[in-house]
Formats: sequence, C-alpha cells, structure tokens
Amino acid sequence: MVMIMYVHLTHMNEGEEGVVVDIHGGIGARQKLIGMGITPGTRIRVLKSSPPGPIIIAVGSSRIAIGRGIADKIIVRRELR
Amino acid sequence: MKKVIALAGNPNVGKTTLFNALTGLRQHVGNWPGVTVEKKEGIMKYKGREFLVVDLPGTYSLTAHSVDELIARNFILNGNADVIVDVVDSSCLMRNLFLTMEILEMGVKNIVIALNKIDLAEKKGITFNFKKMEKVLGIPVVPTNAKDGTGIEDLKRKIVAVADGRITVNPVVPVYDDIIEREISHISEILKETALAERYNLRWLAIKLLTRDEEVIKLVLSHLGHEKMDEILHHIGELEEHYKKSLDIIIANQKYEFIDNLIHQFVTHFAEQKETLTDQLDRILTHPVYGMLSLLAIFYFLFKFVFTVGTPLQESLDSFFGVLGDNIGRYIVNDTLRGLIVDGIIGGVGSVLSFFPLVFLLFVAMSLLEDSGYMARAAVVMERIMRKFNLPGKSFIPMVLAFGCNVPAVMATRALDDERDRILTMIINPLVPCSARMVVITFLAGVFFERHKALVAISIYAISLGLALISALILSRFVIKGEESPFIIELPDYLIPSWKSVVIHSWERSKEFLKKAGTVILAGAVAIWYLSNYPQPVGTGLSYAEIIGRALEPVTKLMGLDWKAAVSLIFGIIAKENVIATYGVIYGIGGNEEALGVLMRQAMSPLQAFVLSLVTTLYLPCIATIAAIRAEGGTKWALVASLYNLILATVIGILVYHLGLFIMG
Ligand SMILES: Nc1nc2c(ncn2[C@@H]2O[C@H](COP(=O)(O)OP(=O)(O)OP(=O)(O)O)[C@@H](O)[C@H]2O)c(=O)[nH]1
Ligand SMILES: [Mg+2]
Repeated sequence: MVMIMYVHLTHMNEGEEGVVVDIHGGIGARQKLIGMGITPGTRIRVLKSSPPGPIIIAVGSSRIAIGRGIADKIIVRRELR
Repeated sequence: MKKVIALAGNPNVGKTTLFNALTGLRQHVGNWPGVTVEKKEGIMKYKGREFLVVDLPGTYSLTAHSVDELIARNFILNGNADVIVDVVDSSCLMRNLFLTMEILEMGVKNIVIALNKIDLAEKKGITFNFKKMEKVLGIPVVPTNAKDGTGIEDLKRKIVAVADGRITVNPVVPVYDDIIEREISHISEILKETALAERYNLRWLAIKLLTRDEEVIKLVLSHLGHEKMDEILHHIGELEEHYKKSLDIIIANQKYEFIDNLIHQFVTHFAEQKETLTDQLDRILTHPVYGMLSLLAIFYFLFKFVFTVGTPLQESLDSFFGVLGDNIGRYIVNDTLRGLIVDGIIGGVGSVLSFFPLVFLLFVAMSLLEDSGYMARAAVVMERIMRKFNLPGKSFIPMVLAFGCNVPAVMATRALDDERDRILTMIINPLVPCSARMVVITFLAGVFFERHKALVAISIYAISLGLALISALILSRFVIKGEESPFIIELPDYLIPSWKSVVIHSWERSKEFLKKAGTVILAGAVAIWYLSNYPQPVGTGLSYAEIIGRALEPVTKLMGLDWKAAVSLIFGIIAKENVIATYGVIYGIGGNEEALGVLMRQAMSPLQAFVLSLVTTLYLPCIATIAAIRAEGGTKWALVASLYNLILATVIGILVYHLGLFIMG
C-alpha cells in the first residue's frame, strides 16, 4: 500500500522519499534552491535528519544540506511504503 | 585586442581546473563550492595566437545574491565575453543545464559546453550520445576531464572556431506553456517601443519581469514609467492567482521539465541510485554526535601531524641558523656590520624562518581538508553551534581557512549569502589564529613551557576561538544586527586528495611566508636592530627602542608586559612574526634560540609570556588582513574590526594577567 501525505521537509524521516510540491520563504533562499535543482516536482530522498542540525537530501545525483529554518518552508508529498 | 573567453558554470564543476589546463597557471582548486570568489585572468595560446581566459566564481543561477555569484552574473550579463565556455558537471546534468538555459535565454550565441568530469559520469554508468547532444542543444559540446587533460585540445579547437565565427551556434531556448508564452509575447510587444530593444533580448527581459527579478524591474521601470509598469505587475499578479503559486516557481518548474525532455534525447543510460562510499562516510561524519566527535578528532590529528613532523625540522633549521650566525660573525671585522648581519638579519629573520616547515605542513593539512570534500561537512556539523552565536553555518569555512591565513579567509566570505553575514564573519575572522600567530604561540610555548607547551598552545587557540564566537554574539546584538541567512550548501563527493595537488597548493600558499621573511620581516628586523642600537645601544635606556617602548609601557604594564613586548607588538602589526624577530634582535645572539631562550626566561615570567602570546593573537590584525577587510567590507568595518580587537586584547590581557597573579598568589 502506498500512503501519501503532505508534510514539511522537517517532518520527513531519514530514508523516506517524496516529491517537492511547494517552496515558501524568502525569494533569495527560494531562488538558491531552484538553482540547485529543487523545485515543485523534484524527487528527493532524505539522507539525514537529526534535529537541530541541517537536513541532508539527495536530489538526482547531488547531495544538499539545508538548515531547519528553510527546510520548514519546503512542502513535500511523502511516499510511505 | 585579445579575444575574451569566459568560464562559467555551477560551483565545484571544475572551472578552475579547466582554467589551469587551458592557461598553464596554478589557480586555487578545492573540492567544495565557493573556492573561486573573484574573477581571474590568464592567457591561452593556440596555434601562435593568444586569448584572454577569465575564470569566474561558480553560480547556480543568474538570480544570485552573494558577492561571488554577482561577479559571475554581471560578467555574463554585460556580454564581456567573445566566447562563453559553459562548464557542466556531466555526472549531474539536470541541475547544471538550468544555468545553461538561463544563459541561453539571454540570447547568447557564442557558447561552447565543456562536459566536464566525464570520468565520473562514466563511473556512475551514465552514457551520452554526444552528436545527438550537440544537435538537440544546438551548441558545440566537448567531453572533458580537466584533471587529466582529456579533451582539452578538442575544447581549445572548438573555442577558437566559435570565436572566429567558423561554427554557427544555434542554441535551443526553453519553451513554456501557452499562458506564459502569451504573456511573454505581450510584454515583449510593450518593451519593443523602448530603447531597451536595442540592448537587450526582449524575451529575456519579459521572463525576468515575470519572475519579479528586482534588478530587471528597476531597469524596465526607468524606461517604461510607473503607469505601464504597474499594469504589467498587476497582470503578473493575476497569473499568480491562476497558478496559485509565484511565477518564479512555475517558470523554474517548466524549465526543468523542458531540460528533462532534452536530456532524455541524448543520455542513453542513466545512473542507478545506489549507496556510495560518500553516503556511507557521511552517515558518520554528518551524524549529530559522531560527526562532532569526528570533527574534533580530525582537527586534533591534523595539528598533531603538523607538530610531530614539523618540530624536529624546525629545531634543526634553528640550530643551522645559530651555526651560520657564529661562522659568518667570525669573518666580519666591522662591529656595526657584524651586529646588523648576525643580530639583526640572522637573529631576526632566521628565528622566524626556522618555522617554515611548520607553516608548510599547516598548509598541507589545510589542503587535505579542502581537497577531500570534508570542508562542506564541517560546515554542516557546526551549523547548529554557529547558529547559537548568530552566525550562519557557512561562515565556518572562512574560519577554517583562517588557520592558514586570514587574507584569503576574509575574501572567502564573499560566498556567504548576505551582507550582514559577510561583515560579521569578516570582523571575527582575525580572532582565528593564522599560521603567523601559530609561529609566535609555538615559539613562546616552547621557550617558557617546556613540559606543558602543547597544553599552553591549545589553551591560547581555545581562548581565541571562544572569543571569536562570543564576539559574534555581542557584535550581532549591538553592532551588526539582523538574522543569519538560511543555510543551504551542496556536499560534493569525497575524493582522495592527490599528493601532487596537495604539495603544489601548500607550496603556493607557504611561499608567501618565505616572501614575507624576505621583505617585511627582513625590513622589520633591520629597523628593530637600528632602533635598539641607536643613538645608544639597548640597556643604556637611551636607544630609540627603549624610548618608544617606555612610552607605551603605562598601558602594557597593566598586562605585565615591559617595553620590549610593547616594541615587539608594534612591529607585529606589520607581520605577526615580527614579535619573535624583535626578541631575536634585541637579545642579539644571532639566531641561536637556546641562548635566546635563556635570556628571555630571565627577563619574563611564564605568566607574562602567556599574556604576550595571547595578546599577540588577539590584538590588531596584521596590515594585510586590515587591508583585506577594508577591500571587502569598506573602511568603516576595517576600523571597527581593528578597534574591537585592540580593545578586546587589552581587556583580556589585563584580566588574564591579574587572574594569573591571583591564582599563583
Ligand atoms: N574526476 C574529476 N574531477 C575533477 C574534474 N575537474 C575538476 N575536478 C575536481 O573537482 C573539484 C572542483 O574543482 P575546481 O576547479 O575547484 O571547481 P570550480 O568549478 O572552479 O569551483 P568553484 O570555484 O568553487 O566554483 C576539485 O576537487 C577537482 O580536482 C574532472 O574532469 N574529473
Ligand atoms: Mg574555481
């Protein structure tokens, strides 16, 4: 069974996958994320999430670390298997 | 005029490596994003002709805000290049082509793609149809491995062909959905009437307006006036209602979809998602607990390595200068000349120069950090601690670089995302002890704390680093207010550093130390020698050195420091190593550290030496660092940094001295 839920990136667990659906937050950070390949529709996998440190996600073949403040503004459609 | 070739691309894709391959230069390469922060130029020779090659800082998009990215953006926007070489990481194509599309959207036609790191793509199992790729993109594509030189000749040939107009480039540009395309045509129509039409690609301006790019809005406003501009913005607002998202996201999204379609036409095999060695290492190295322990262990072992290997070398060099001084002294009959050469030059410069092995090894350690890919991880691990002190996680990188030298470290702050972060990081940077101060700390610890020298050195480093963090907290509260910017950093694959590049890199950096020894330290030593021998020699109370030193003594006495320390600190502003050189000259024993040690121990207590070491570390940054802060942050902040450090050093010096007196009864 595949369960789908919309969550903040900060609420994703390590090892989970999902698709980005929206990015809130200031234009500066948003543009940076976009340039790094993170836009609505992007598949991501959470490699590391251990509060209060940054979250590390895999996007394509790159790895990006994101502080919790901005990660909280990224909405993801979580795919639980 | 030489034709200009600019290297542009995402951070860490290998632009500088390629630049070095094209020009034969040795610019700084490192395995972390943000190594190059200024534009660098070199000459490429091809069949007897010369071309000017420009290496640009890396940028993820043309809507960047950090100083280094703005340099790249402006260079590309101004159309300064005859050929743009778009350096693309072939193992991470999707994201890299986003910047390519942004460049193409500007109407750029003189472009060549260097499909770099092709070796990595192959290893990951990605395969390309290069012919098809050229056709689909409408741009010449050259697969390269900048590290071993594969494809470089081919790349040169294509660059020159484009520069000469022998290859016609006919690039694709992204196409959006009907609604957006209609809006683009509509806005272009309006702009056609203005003078902008002559200078800019109207489609590009329209797209930038849709994404509400501040600079472009300002530009268009000046040509169109408020009324028409408001109309356009109002329309954009309506579109955003329709999509229920801001248009920059919608457009980026469609751009990525467009790129995805292109890629599927020429990539014949994609990488499989597997766990790599990098992922396994990261599990430990970015772990909240083990990551922090690893960070401490890594720094401990790097410093341990520097001192274990470097100290015996330093000691032999030191005895060498002692013997050299004695022998040369015998052959010089003239007393003054002998004093100048043996006491002044060999005593002053030699005592500093003997530390070269330690400085070189310190830069070896720095290179290992930079080339391995660990640098970005260190920033991740430290992020939550830095945040407690109102610093952004990324400012840890300039702090690490500062262990080597503060000047490049201050420049590296350009990679930070906003002005407030940059200034704050810059001002606390001098509180990280650089290689010059390592030399002073090691020297004094060695002379005064034979048995506990490591402990003493570590405590000076710890106090200084602690003060850097506390200063950030204080300054961000009262002087440089605002919140730290969000933390976003790419983590490159780990690499095993090649010995060749580590040695080259360490030599390039430590060479500066030798240069300094031959210039400012030499000049300083001669000046100190003069001041301490005229009009009467030191000891009579009539030498210039004593006169100057005693004028400052009322202040330094509060920290337990005598006139000699005062003089040494003055010369230390030029280069911190001069603090040692001063003692070498004043006690005039021609570079013989043992004799110097005996005399110094008679003149100073260990507590005083500890305070001198600490004050040298904390007080005014050296001239080169002040100049760097001024260049990067302006005169005001250079003054703030200097004054702040001076006051801090005085206060801490007095406190520690009296605390020490109290403890020792
Ligand atoms: N395997 C492989 N590694 C490469 C290649 N080209 C560069 N590298 C490595 O990639 C890393 C980054 O290289 P740089 O030349 O500093 O990258 P840059 O694009 O100038 O980076 P910034 O200045 O930070 O934008 C270094 O570790 C290089 O050794 C290549 O073709 N193959
Ligand atoms: Mg570079």
